[in-house]
Amino acid sequence: MSAVEPQISTDLAYLYDGTPEGLLSAIFAAYARHEDPAEVTRADAYQPRLLQTAVTIPTDAAHAERVSAGIRKRLGSYAHRQVMKSTLSGRPDAGIALYRFVRFALDGVDRRDCASCRFAVDCARRTCKRQKMAAINDVTHPRVKPFFDAVRSVDNECEKIRQFARFQHLKEEGREVWFARVNPKDAVVPLVLGHFVERFNVQPFILYDEAHGVAGVWDGNRRYLVDADEGMLSLPPAGADEALMQDAWRTFYRVLSVEARYNPELRRKLMPKRFWKNLTELQPDVPGLRRS
Amino acid sequence: MDVVQKLEILADAAKYDVACTSSGVDRAGKRGQLGAASSAGCCHSFTEDGRCVSLLKVLMTNVCEYDCAYCVNRRSNPDVQRTCFTPRELADLTIGLYRRNCIEGLFLSSGVIGSADGTTELMIRALSILREEHGFRGYIHAKAVPGTSFELVQQLGLLADRLSVNLELPSAQSLSLLCPDKTRQSVLGPMKRISESIAEDAESRSLARRRTTVYLSDARPRRAARAFAPAGQSTQMIVGATPETDWQILGLAASLYQKMQLKRVFFSAYLPVVEDARLPSSDHVQLDREHRLYQADWLLRFYGFNVEEIIDARNPDLATDVDPKANWALNHLDEFPVEVNTCPYETLLRVPGIGVRGAKLIVRARRQTTLGEGELRKLGIAFKRARYFITCNGAYLGRGVPFEKEALHARLSSRIDGGGHGRRADKVADGQLSLFSSVDAAGAPALDAAAALLPEAAPALEDGVAF
Repeated sequence: MSAVEPQISTDLAYLYDGTPEGLLSAIFAAYARHEDPAEVTRADAYQPRLLQTAVTIPTDAAHAERVSAGIRKRLGSYAHRQVMKSTLSGRPDAGIALYRFVRFALDGVDRRDCASCRFAVDCARRTCKRQKMAAINDVTHPRVKPFFDAVRSVDNECEKIRQFARFQHLKEEGREVWFARVNPKDAVVPLVLGHFVERFNVQPFILYDEAHGVAGVWDGNRRYLVDADEGMLSLPPAGADEALMQDAWRTFYRVLSVEARYNPELRRKLMPKRFWKNLTELQPDVPGLRRS
Repeated sequence: MDVVQKLEILADAAKYDVACTSSGVDRAGKRGQLGAASSAGCCHSFTEDGRCVSLLKVLMTNVCEYDCAYCVNRRSNPDVQRTCFTPRELADLTIGLYRRNCIEGLFLSSGVIGSADGTTELMIRALSILREEHGFRGYIHAKAVPGTSFELVQQLGLLADRLSVNLELPSAQSLSLLCPDKTRQSVLGPMKRISESIAEDAESRSLARRRTTVYLSDARPRRAARAFAPAGQSTQMIVGATPETDWQILGLAASLYQKMQLKRVFFSAYLPVVEDARLPSSDHVQLDREHRLYQADWLLRFYGFNVEEIIDARNPDLATDVDPKANWALNHLDEFPVEVNTCPYETLLRVPGIGVRGAKLIVRARRQTTLGEGELRKLGIAFKRARYFITCNGAYLGRGVPFEKEALHARLSSRIDGGGHGRRADKVADGQLSLFSSVDAAGAPALDAAAALLPEAAPALEDGVAF
């Protein structure tokens, strides 16, 4: 495919449906159609430009799988993991950043120069690790930097969710679940679900991403990723110990602050305000939840 | 009194302990058991003062037999309501909060109730309930109460991930002045034995892992045995309550890292929480000094600096207007500028404005391309500071400013950002020791006496720790 010079078309935008598969399908389409789109963006975030043709790329799981497998094979598992992370990014420019990186990286691997490599005799010109990693390590390159930033912001968002997800114990006759509501910028639930499954494997839980309508579910045996709207959730009421524990946590948080060190700017930096609405300790004491 | 009220009292009493780290041990989750630990740790919340909340930091009890002058829980303080958790209450509370992802685990300290041994036994009971009944695999930091018999510390270490003995004051004289019930030996002795036990345990486990012996199946040692304090030990010093200089404090910290293999030494700016004639009564909290000490501590632990490079007896206090690394660079201008494209990683770490992350990125990026100014700016280092000390592909980037100590000092000095609120915002930038000149008449003689007792150069004692 890469033998044919892609058509330089600054007036072309690819729109995809916002899913990781959709984004990978768009990358597939660019190769399949021998085109070089100037924009790859989510259909809902697209801002039409004068003289620009927007092409909606249908999501095709088989195409996405081929792109994914190709990247893993030719760029290695590390780059593949970073690519998969970046597909979950919520940034509007994540699509084009990924597309431009993939083009750049695959072209680099194709045009690899083994003349100066001392292992070239043995490797029979198979792609070696040095070649695979060349693009992703070139972090200052204009084709790589936006992708690198997108991946880093996804990593940071994962850490924020690991820190700030707060579970509530919901329980009634025959039903019991631990429920956490989170609002990350990027759709990171699939990336952090494993972390919570590892430590909370004894409790069935739901990690609900209200910003993207995705729920990570652990039923005690298996994990699921479910598309879920607010309306689809039917949750049991809070368990008997929930009020006491929330009160304990709020009390603990309140007394722990040292007055002489008061520094709310630092707190806002480390715990951005957008997370506060789902943090137990920053909710006002709900009268109904207080212990008698 | 219900659990929440107890928590309120016992968390309030524990908050002056600054250590709140859940780092240093990797323990994967296990099917059917609650919890896991990762070596990077995790901060679950941040209080209004911007400090992280990673562990449920509480005292077992705030009843205390000791009478340490600076401590809010001292025996002679009548203003504090005294209470005590039962081991089960504490274990259940920890599990309840852990299941809600509020904490990484438990930080358990205690006042001395009855005897040190009795107190430690209470703590062991609570930790056994957590580890054995609840099968808890999260992080536990336990404090070894001074004066506890070592058999009990051994048991405690097998239940906890990290142990700590608080040094509290950075010299034996200050310790005897402010903590009449503690001695140098009662603090350093347990610390030394804990570090020996950690080393011994790590060694025997590594031998067992090597499987040099062929065991019959029933004689094979059980793998499930817990490690002794796998996340190491830490300690804490109060800064500003006594007249020690930064040089003495950092020298002590460095020898603790070397001789006792401590994982962390924490510094805590002295906050007046109780009135005592022996203590400075000034409202001035030395938060900036604490900040500089931590910067120096980072240089020791992550940047490959020796303590002699950071501070010496002639200038025994850290500069307040520039950070310790910039200060070192200003005094060693003959080693700069360095070429970012070729110099080793260790040299990059010594450039002001380049940290561990920046240095690693530079090393990673320069394998692929030659770094110029544009590339360097993209790497997220503090280019504004680093430019005076580097060349990019042969070009010096700090043109316009003479390459002299005074001129560069003016460019590098910056105020420590302590936020726009609270006591830090309207602080006066006075010298560090001015605190002691404002001590009232009753306190002055005692402090002068302590200062006179301090040796000129801290001599190395038989166990190698200048204290």
